[in-house]
Amino acid sequence: MSTGHELLNQIETKFPGAVKVDSVTERVAFLSVCDEQLVALADFLANQMNARFVMEIGTDKRPVNQKYELSYIFCLDQEGFEISLKVMVDENKLEVPSITPVIPGAGWAEREVYDMLGIVAVNHPDPRRLVLADDWPEDLFPMRKDFEHDNRPPAAEVKKIMKEPDGNATVVSVGPFFPTLEEPAYFRLFVEGEKVVGCDYRGFFSHRGIEKLADKVLDYNQVPFMAERICGICGFVHSCSYCQAVEMAAEIEVPARARYIRTIMLELERIHSHLLWIGLAGHIIGFDTVLMQSWRVREPVMWLCEQITGNRKTYGMNLVGGVRRDIPEDLHPKILETLDKIESESRTIIDAIIKDKPLLMRLQGVGTLSREDGRKLCVVGPTARASGLETDIRVKYPYAAYGELDMKAAFQTGGDVLARTLVRAEELFTAIDLVRQALQKMPEGPIMAEFSDIPPYREGISLIEAPRGESLHYVLTGPDNRPYRWSVRAPTYAQLQAIPDMLSRSTVADFPLIVASIDPCFSCTERVETVDRSSHTIKTYRREELLQQLQNKYRGGERS
Amino acid sequence: MRVVLIGMLNILIVLLLSPLYEGIMRKVRAVIHSRQGPPVLQPYYDLAKLMLKDDQIAEGNFIFKSAPVLCLGSIILVALFIPLGTAAPLGFAGDALVLVYLLTMSAVFIILGGMASSNPYAFLGANREMMLLLVVEPVLAISLLTGAIKAHSLLLSNISGYMLANPTFSMAVAGLAFFLVIQPEMAKIPFDLAEAETEIMEGPFIEYSGRKLAFFKWAFWGKQVIFVALFAQIFLPWLRTSFAPVNILISLLEVLVLVVVVELIATLNPRLKIEQAIRYFAGIIVFALAGMALALLGL
Repeated sequence: MSTGHELLNQIETKFPGAVKVDSVTERVAFLSVCDEQLVALADFLANQMNARFVMEIGTDKRPVNQKYELSYIFCLDQEGFEISLKVMVDENKLEVPSITPVIPGAGWAEREVYDMLGIVAVNHPDPRRLVLADDWPEDLFPMRKDFEHDNRPPAAEVKKIMKEPDGNATVVSVGPFFPTLEEPAYFRLFVEGEKVVGCDYRGFFSHRGIEKLADKVLDYNQVPFMAERICGICGFVHSCSYCQAVEMAAEIEVPARARYIRTIMLELERIHSHLLWIGLAGHIIGFDTVLMQSWRVREPVMWLCEQITGNRKTYGMNLVGGVRRDIPEDLHPKILETLDKIESESRTIIDAIIKDKPLLMRLQGVGTLSREDGRKLCVVGPTARASGLETDIRVKYPYAAYGELDMKAAFQTGGDVLARTLVRAEELFTAIDLVRQALQKMPEGPIMAEFSDIPPYREGISLIEAPRGESLHYVLTGPDNRPYRWSVRAPTYAQLQAIPDMLSRSTVADFPLIVASIDPCFSCTERVETVDRSSHTIKTYRREELLQQLQNKYRGGERS
Repeated sequence: MRVVLIGMLNILIVLLLSPLYEGIMRKVRAVIHSRQGPPVLQPYYDLAKLMLKDDQIAEGNFIFKSAPVLCLGSIILVALFIPLGTAAPLGFAGDALVLVYLLTMSAVFIILGGMASSNPYAFLGANREMMLLLVVEPVLAISLLTGAIKAHSLLLSNISGYMLANPTFSMAVAGLAFFLVIQPEMAKIPFDLAEAETEIMEGPFIEYSGRKLAFFKWAFWGKQVIFVALFAQIFLPWLRTSFAPVNILISLLEVLVLVVVVELIATLNPRLKIEQAIRYFAGIIVFALAGMALALLGL
C-alpha cells in the first residue's frame, strides 16, 4: 500500500485539497479533480513524477448523474502504479482545459474525446478532427448515450483538413492505400528532393465503432469475441485485456491454470508477431529472403495455435473469469518441440541479420527517437524500450501469470530502427523461454472462475504488453449485463504520434521502414471490425469434404 | 548476308531468350526463399498478358507514349553491337563508344517516360535513376576504355581478342569494375532504387500499363542479357572453339551462369539508399580510374 499512499501524500502536499480519493489499492488509485487543477496536476505527474500519460477516456454519464466523465490514465512505470484522474464536465459547459501543451502525447486522445463526445479541449494546439470521417456532420457525437448505434446520418459537406507544406516543399502522398502499409493510412509527406521536411497524418479510415457496439448491443461475454477481432495479429491481447478489466472491476479471482494458459497464448502471439515483423521489415528494404525465411519459421507457431485453440488466429479462448479451452498434457511435448525448432531457426536468421553489413547500413541511425522525446510523446512497447525507456508492463505491472515467471525486459539505447529490431529479436527468445516456464509451472485446477452478477458502475483498467506495446482496456461496468463504457487504447495509437518526430531527419527511402519500425497496426488503433459480407450463403459440409479440405490446406506442411 | 543473319540471330536471342533468363532468375530467387516459385516460362505469360491488356493512359503526351518503344528500340540496336559467340554484326571501329551511348539511351528513355508521367513517385524514381546513371555509366566507359588502351583499338572484338591473348592486371581491374556495375545496370538489388517497389512503387513505371509496360519490361530483360553477355565476351573470352554454333551455345551458357550469380547477390542483400549507392560507386570510379592508369603505365 505504501507506494500509493506515499504518492497521494506528495500530491496532497503539493496541491492541498485539490484531489478527492475515490479508491486506492496497491496497483491503482482513482482520484477526482476539478478542471481548474487538471493541467497543473497533469504537468506535475508527467514532468516531475515521471508518469506516462496513457489515455483519456470520455464517458457520457448523463443518464446517471447529468455529467460527462473524463478519466485521464497515467502510469508510474518506476513504481508500477496507475493513476486515474477523473474530471466531471457539466452537460451545459462541455469544456475542459487541454493538457496537450504540457504532455504532447495527449494530443490525439483529446481530439478523440471531442469527436466522440463533443467536449472541447481548450487551448489544444491542433484541434482538428481525428477519428470521424470527413463527411460526418459537425454536431453529431457518436459516443453520447442518446446516439443510437445503428444511426446513419446523411453525409455532410467534406472539409479539407490536411496541412499544406511551408515554403516550396513538394507533397508526396503516401496512402490511403500504399503497398507496404497493408492497411489504409494517409501520410502526406512534405519533401525537398529526397529529404522529408514535414508530414501530416490522417487515419481512422476503418473506424467502425466497436466501442459503441459494446455500449448498446453486446453483453459481457460477447465483447471478448468482438475484442479479439479488433486486430488480426494480437487479437488475444485484446480479448484478454478486456476480460482482465471486467475481472478487476467485478473483483473476480481468475483460477491459476487459466492465468497460465493466457500467458502461454499471449507469448505465442508475441512469437509469431515478432517473426512477422522481422519479415516485413526485410521486405520493405528489398530483402525478401528475410521475409520468406522468417515467415517460414513462423508458420509452425500458427499450426501450434490451431492445434491448441482450433484456429490459426482469433482463438475465441477468453471469457470473463477464465478461458474456454485447456491445454492438455499430451500437447506439451509437441509445443516444446516446436519451440526448440523455432528457437534454433530464429537464432540463425537473427545472427545473419546482425552480421549483415548492408543491412546495418539501412537500419543504423534511421528514424532515431531520443529518450526524452520518447517520454514526452508517451511511446510504449519495443519502440520505447529501444529508446531506453524502461516500460515493460509484464515486469512493472504483472498480470496473468507473469508475476510468477522469471523474465528480464529487453532494452536498447540507440533509439533507431536497429535498436527496435534488436529489442524485438531479444523479446522473441524471452517469449520462447516464458512459454517453456509457464508450461512447466502450470498448476492443475479449474480454468473458469465462478462468480455471481457483476456489480454496476465499477471501473476496471487493464494493461497488457502486446507485441507492439502496451494495450489499455478500460471498462466501466453497467447495470444491464453489459459494460457501460468500454474503451481501448492500442499501442499504435501512442506510437503513431511519434512518427513526425522520427521522420523529421529522414529521406523518402527511409519512410516506409520508419513507419514499419513501430510495427503499426492501424486496425487496432482504429478499432475496426472486418466482416466478410460478400457471401451470405451457408454451405453445409459433409465430414469427407471437410477432411478433404483440411488435407488440401495442409499439403506441403508437416503436421502430426 | 552473313552480317544480316548474325544480326537477326542476336536480336532473336536478346528478344526471345531474355524472358527465359528472367524466369530462371525468378526460380533461383524462389529456391533461396524456400518457395516453389512461378513456372520458368512465367515471364512469357506476363508479356502476353500485358500485351493483351487495356492500355491505361494517365498523361497523354508524346514523350510518355513513345518512351517505351524507343527504349525497346535502343535495346534492339545494342543487340547488334555485341558479339554473341561470333563477331558483332555491326562491329566497326569505335563501336565500344557507340555501345556505351546506346546503353545509356535506354536508361534515358526510362527517365524521360517517368518524368513525362508527372507522377510524384515517377519523379522520385527518375531522379534516382539519373543520379545512379551519373555514377554508373562512367565506370562502364572507363573499363571499356582501359581495354581500348591496352588493345590500341576501340573495336570491341579487338579488346576481347587482346584479353584472350594477354590478360593483364589492368584488364582484371577493368573486368572487376565492369562486374560491379552489372547489378545497377540490371536494376537489381542492392541497386534497384529507381524502381524500389516498397518505397516508390516501381518509380518511373508507376503510370505505365498494358503494352507500354510490356515494352519496358522486355527492354529491361533484354538489357540484362546484353549486359552479362558483354561482360562474358570481353572479359571472359577463353572458352571458345573454332565452330561458331558451339560458341553461341557457350556464350548462352555463360550468360546463364552470370544471371544466376547476379540473382544470388540480389537475394542476399537489402536495397541501399541513393546516397549510399552514390558513395559506393564513387569508390568504384576511383578504382576503375586506377585500372586505367595502370593500363597507361603498361601493366
